[in-house]
Amino acid sequence: MSKYVAKQADLIREMEEKPSTLKGDYAPREWWEMPVEFHEGNFCFPAKPEVIEDLGFANPRKWIATDDDWKLPDGWEKTLMDAMRERLKKYRSLKLYLDTCVRCGACADKCHFFLGTGDPKNMPVLRAELVRSVYRGDFPMVDKILKGFAGSRKLTREVLKEWYMYFYQCTECRRCSVFCPMGIDTAEITIMVREILQLVGLNNNWILAPVANCNRTGNHLGIEPHTFVQNIESLVDDIEELTGVSVNPTFNRKGAEILFITPSGDVFGDPGVYTMMGYLLLFEHIGLDYTISTYASEGGNFGFFTSNDMMRKINAKMYHEAERLGVKWILGGECGHMWRVVHQYMSTMNGPANFLEEPVSPITRTKFTNAKATKMVHIAEFTADLIRNNKLKLDPKRNNHLRTTFHDSCNVARGMGMFEEPRYVLGSVCNSFHEMPENTIREQTFCCGSGSGLNAEEYMEIRMKGGFPRANAVRHVREKHDVNALVTICAIDRASLPPLMRYWNPGVAVYGLHELVGNALVMDGEKKRTEDLREDPMTGFEEKEDDVD
Amino acid sequence: MKRTWERIIRENRETILHRWHERGLDLFTGKMAPGTPLAEALADGMGMILDGFHNDSDLCHEGVLRVTRILAVHPFRPSRSLSLFRELSAILQETGGAEADASFCRERIEETVFEAFDRFMEHRETIYQLKVEESRSKMHMLLGRTGS
Repeated sequence: MSKYVAKQADLIREMEEKPSTLKGDYAPREWWEMPVEFHEGNFCFPAKPEVIEDLGFANPRKWIATDDDWKLPDGWEKTLMDAMRERLKKYRSLKLYLDTCVRCGACADKCHFFLGTGDPKNMPVLRAELVRSVYRGDFPMVDKILKGFAGSRKLTREVLKEWYMYFYQCTECRRCSVFCPMGIDTAEITIMVREILQLVGLNNNWILAPVANCNRTGNHLGIEPHTFVQNIESLVDDIEELTGVSVNPTFNRKGAEILFITPSGDVFGDPGVYTMMGYLLLFEHIGLDYTISTYASEGGNFGFFTSNDMMRKINAKMYHEAERLGVKWILGGECGHMWRVVHQYMSTMNGPANFLEEPVSPITRTKFTNAKATKMVHIAEFTADLIRNNKLKLDPKRNNHLRTTFHDSCNVARGMGMFEEPRYVLGSVCNSFHEMPENTIREQTFCCGSGSGLNAEEYMEIRMKGGFPRANAVRHVREKHDVNALVTICAIDRASLPPLMRYWNPGVAVYGLHELVGNALVMDGEKKRTEDLREDPMTGFEEKEDDVD
Repeated sequence: MKRTWERIIRENRETILHRWHERGLDLFTGKMAPGTPLAEALADGMGMILDGFHNDSDLCHEGVLRVTRILAVHPFRPSRSLSLFRELSAILQETGGAEADASFCRERIEETVFEAFDRFMEHRETIYQLKVEESRSKMHMLLGRTGS
């Protein structure tokens, strides 16, 4: 008999006995008395023991969230409480965020996970309360005396399960913080809780495996230097075949003016590779003196989702390499969290990078004063400046087969306030662009639902739910304007939005901004273009009979 | 009979939709608020089903597609998800009363439930397909790392 045939006994159990705030015994209880239930699709696999050993992290073992026994180390409660105390002293922001919430609820319906799952514990205020309630119970004296009245509780295994579930159902996108009247950044609470969970071995393989890879080979995908070069060379061959133009990237070249760093997904992943082809065409077009490193072969920083120390270590590698190669400054590719780390943390964490020069575009002589401390310029800014100064020969008609909309990546939009530059570039390289509704773009942008290391395949259901608000906004422009291309400037978006679109909006493809730049660039010595970088036919550029020999 | 049902639904659309939507929102943990994007998308799909209910139009099929797409990502059992369509039967028959032919309504609900089952399973298969493709892509990357 099919497993999908309704079984009355199971249905009764599910409908009546399972906990819900609406039903029976649970109605008068407190929110924290609702048990946490792990099942297929709502948790990520934990890191493999060998990955944890590689990193020197705590408690390597085989386990899974559905196990009854999580094999926690002896004294795990003390480890976590001590870690929390230490961080409350070290990071004043954390203490401030835990102390100042007035439970106004302004953030409640702003989280894509709450909107997509309907689970109250995904309201940012309640997610933070999971840890705030423990903090309140053990630290401030008044609440220690008031106990239950103040909503405080002890750190138990059940509480730990809640932390593990819900702090990995937050993508640290910070949309909630935009609406918080107290300025609380719940993402910072998530970052800290994830960091202390590492201390007892509660983690996520989709985050730690890339971190271990990055430590070993310099990039998240674990690509070794020779393969990294081979991959880019194969893209060079593809470019030549498509356009007839030979591009010539260099690797590890000392004395180059600029070090170009992009997420390794652009070198290896589909559709990221087409964005990489766009960069290569652009650099050839303007004759840029640049090099690519096989050591700092990763722009992304999954250390950011692990611990502050790991974030610092991975970020430092880019700057060590820039110093070793003797470049003047760094040009960074399309990435989300790389830019949040660089823009918000780098200058006090590893910087300022005074061994580099304040970035000046060698083509337009524009000084990027905003990058004075970090010495790193975003490719969208760099290209927008080139276009503004008429340095690019573009034919936007080459993108006429695409009717586009733009997804603001959380980290670039909210993390560094970059809204206009990518739109300016997009408006210059294609003729059809339609904005999604106002409350889903720019600083109010919705997350893809898979950021901060939650892009694991086993997590697909939660990803589809968390990504629903974004997909819903895309549906709006698809129905209204027949949009078929979702453009973004983040490598994780390029990996996570294609399945999201395939599920919610079949027919909408995902593109990197510089892929469209690459399509539109009119290169010296190029052959007649009939296909875009994906080898899809360009509308209006079809081969005519006269063209065929 | 078609015309009677068309008129009944048209005249009572708001009430029927409201009641049915309420039942749909009850499926979610803690009951989802009606103003959220998910709840609105659910209401849009339900509205399409109601508008195309009497003549089995494309609008109805599109509505079924949309509603089941929402239900398929949630951890309800398939039977529980599809019970939502059975809820409509009771609501419609209460609204129609003696004036409408109950057998036509029952027949259309049955057709809709069967169609919803097919669509629900298609969506579940899409999710598994997406998982498989991501696993395959990961394997491709592992092979690529070897330089082969």
